[in-house]
Amino acid sequence: MPTLIILTCVVLLPLLLSLWTSFTPFKLTKPDTLYRFVGFRNYERLIGDLDFWIAFGRTVLFLAIALNLELVFGLGIALLINKITYGQRTLRTLMMFPMMFSPILVGFQWKYIFNDNIGLMNNFLREFGVIQPIPWLVDGILANVSIMAAEIWSSTSVFAILLLAGLLGIPKDPIEAAKVDGCNSWQVFKNITLPFLMPFVFIAMTIRSLDVARAYDIVQMMTGGGPAKRTELLWTLISRTGYVDAKMGMANAMSYISIFLSIAFTFFFFYKLVEARQRLSYE
Amino acid sequence: MLRLFLSLILAVSFFGSFSAKAETELWGDYSGVTLRVKLIGGGQYEGLYNEVIPWWEENTGGKIEIVTQKNHFELDKEIKKDIASGNLDFCVASNHTSFASQYGDIYTDLNNIMPASVLADYTPLILEHSTVNGRLVQMPRHSDVSNLYYQKSLYEDADNKANFKAKYGYDLTPPETWDQVKDQAIFFSNPPDFYGTQYVGKEEAIAGRFYELVIANGGALFDEDYRPIFNSPAGVEALQWFIDLYNAKAVPDGVLNYLWDDTGLGFASGTIAMNLDWAGWAGFFNDPENSKVAGDIGLVRAPMGSGGLRTGWSGSHSFSMTESCPDKEAAASFLWALTSNKAQMIEARGGLSPTRPAIWDAIIAEKKAEGDEFMLMVFETFKMSLAEDAFTPPLIPEWIEFTNALYPELQAAILGDKSPEDALATASKKATEIMEDAGYF
Repeated sequence: MPTLIILTCVVLLPLLLSLWTSFTPFKLTKPDTLYRFVGFRNYERLIGDLDFWIAFGRTVLFLAIALNLELVFGLGIALLINKITYGQRTLRTLMMFPMMFSPILVGFQWKYIFNDNIGLMNNFLREFGVIQPIPWLVDGILANVSIMAAEIWSSTSVFAILLLAGLLGIPKDPIEAAKVDGCNSWQVFKNITLPFLMPFVFIAMTIRSLDVARAYDIVQMMTGGGPAKRTELLWTLISRTGYVDAKMGMANAMSYISIFLSIAFTFFFFYKLVEARQRLSYE
Repeated sequence: MLRLFLSLILAVSFFGSFSAKAETELWGDYSGVTLRVKLIGGGQYEGLYNEVIPWWEENTGGKIEIVTQKNHFELDKEIKKDIASGNLDFCVASNHTSFASQYGDIYTDLNNIMPASVLADYTPLILEHSTVNGRLVQMPRHSDVSNLYYQKSLYEDADNKANFKAKYGYDLTPPETWDQVKDQAIFFSNPPDFYGTQYVGKEEAIAGRFYELVIANGGALFDEDYRPIFNSPAGVEALQWFIDLYNAKAVPDGVLNYLWDDTGLGFASGTIAMNLDWAGWAGFFNDPENSKVAGDIGLVRAPMGSGGLRTGWSGSHSFSMTESCPDKEAAASFLWALTSNKAQMIEARGGLSPTRPAIWDAIIAEKKAEGDEFMLMVFETFKMSLAEDAFTPPLIPEWIEFTNALYPELQAAILGDKSPEDALATASKKATEIMEDAGYF
C-alpha cells in the first residue's frame, strides 16, 4: 500500500497533471490558463505542424544512427579491452572518462572543436591544406554529424561497459571447444560470443534509448536546434516551447506525442531482449 | 499603506575623485531583515553586487541572501517556473525592459513605493520604458544601445583608401549608412583570415538586429493593432543586407551560431574590421591583455538605413521588487542602492551606460580629467546615441515568443533555404497566430 501511495504521488499525479495541461492553453506566466479546457486543440495544431513532424522524424533518425554507432563502437572497445591481460582495469577506468563529463560541458567542448573560425577541427585540417574553413555547425548534414559525434563520444562507454560485463560472463568452454574443432575467430565471434552477448546488447539499447534525451544539453550548447532548424530535435523544440515561449500546454502535448516514440523504442528492445534470451536457452 | 521611509534625505554623494549632482538617498534601519534576491550573473554584472551589497548591509543592518545568480535567459526561465508554481518567495530580481512585460503583475508598481524625488534622479524616457501598463515595474540599472566599433588603422592605410575609392567611387571613411557598411565589409574581407564584419546570428539577438534595421529602413514590425507588417520592402531590404554579407563571405561562415560573446571576442581577436556592439565591451576591446585591437579602435554612431534613421535597438537592465515581498521598504532601499549614483558610477567606469543624467556628467568629467581619450569618445558617442537614436522593441509579453518564431526564418533566408519574401511571409503568418492567440485582434 505505501508503495502504491508513493508511486501515485511521485509518478502518476505529475503524469496526469501534465496530460491535463496538454488539453489547456497553459502558459507558465499565466497560471489561470491551467483551468481552461480546450480539448484536442493543441494536438490538432501539432498534427498540421510540419516543423514538429520534421523535428520528430529527425529525432527518430538521430536515435537510430547514434544508438547503432554507439553499439558498434562500444562492442569494438569491449572486445579489444577483453583481449588485454595487463592493465585492463586502468583501461576500463579511462574508458569511463567521457561519462564523467556533464552533457553541458561536452556540448561546450565540441562546439569549440567544430567552431568554423577558431575550432580545433578546422585548424587541424588547415595543416593538411584545407584552406577554406568548413562550416561544421551550419551545414545541414555536417551539423547533425557534429552533434552525433559529440553524443557518441559521450555515451559509447556506456555500451562498452555493459558489453564488457557480458564478455567477462561468457563461459570459456564453448569457445575453447569451438577452437579445437577448427573454428576461426570470426566463426567463434558470430556463433558463440555474439549470441551470448545479445541480451546485454538489448539491455544496453533499452537503457540508452530511455536515457538518450540527456543529449538535449549537447544539442542546445552546440547549435540550439539551428541554424534554420537544421538540427532541431524534439528535445530542443519542446524545451523552447515550454520554457522560453512559456507555452507549457503545447509543450506537454508535444511530449505526449513523443512519448509514443520512447515507448516504441523500449517495446522493440524489450521484445528483442526476450527473443535473444529464449534463443540462448534453446541453444 | 506602507510605513514612511525612515530616512529620506538629500545628500551629496562623493565617490572617486568626482562628485555627481545631489541625489535623494533611501536609507533606513532594517536590522533583522533578510532580503532574498535573484540576480543576473556573469563577469560584467557581478562587480556591482560585490560593492553595493556590503555597502547596503553596513548602512541598514539588513542582510541580502542571493538565491540565484545566473545568465538572464536562465533567470527568465526560472522566474516563469516560479510564476507557474506560485512560489514567489524572493523580494528583488534582475529584470530587463525587453522581458518585463512577460511577468504579468508579479512585480510591484514602484510609483507607489519610490518617492518622486528618487525617481527624479533617473532619465525620464528610461523610466517610461521601464513602465508596463502604467506600472513602473523596474528601476533601471544601465541602458544598452549599440554603436559601430572599427579598426582605425584600416581607414588610415593609404592603399586601402586608394583601392576603395577606385572600386566604389567614394572615400573610405567610417560608414554613415548600412549600405556603406556592406561595401566596406566586402572590401576588407579576406576569408578565412579576416572578415569585414559579423553579426549575432540566432535567437532574440538576430531578431533584434533585424528589427532595428527594419526601423532604420523606414519600416515597422507591427501596425497599431499588432498585426505583423514586416513583410514589406523595408523588411526585405533589411533581410537582404544580412544575406548579401553572408553570400559575399564578408562575415564568418559560422555566424548564424554566434551570440554576443562570439562577436565581442571575434572583434577583440583582430580578425574583424567593423563590429556593431554594446557599450559594455569598450573597456575589454581596448585592454591589451584581452584584445589585439587595443589602441587601434574607432567608434561611430550606428549607421543609418535607407529610411534615414539610425539603428538603435535599445533596452535597460533593471531590478524589480515582487508584489509578495514582505519587506517592501527594505527592498525599495536596496533597489535604490543598486541603481544609486555610487552603483552607477561603478558600472560606468567599466564602460556601461548609466540611467542617471548626473552620472553621465560625472563619468565624462572624470575621463576628461584622466585624459582617457578612448573612454571619453565611448561615453560621448553612447550618450548621443541613447539620446537621439535609441528605441525599444515592442514592450509586449509576446516579444520573446515572436522572436523565436522569426529567427529561424531569417536564418533560412540567409542560408539560401528560402527567398527573403518566403521567409518573411512564413514568419509573418506565425507572428499573426501568436498575436491572435494573445487576443490583440
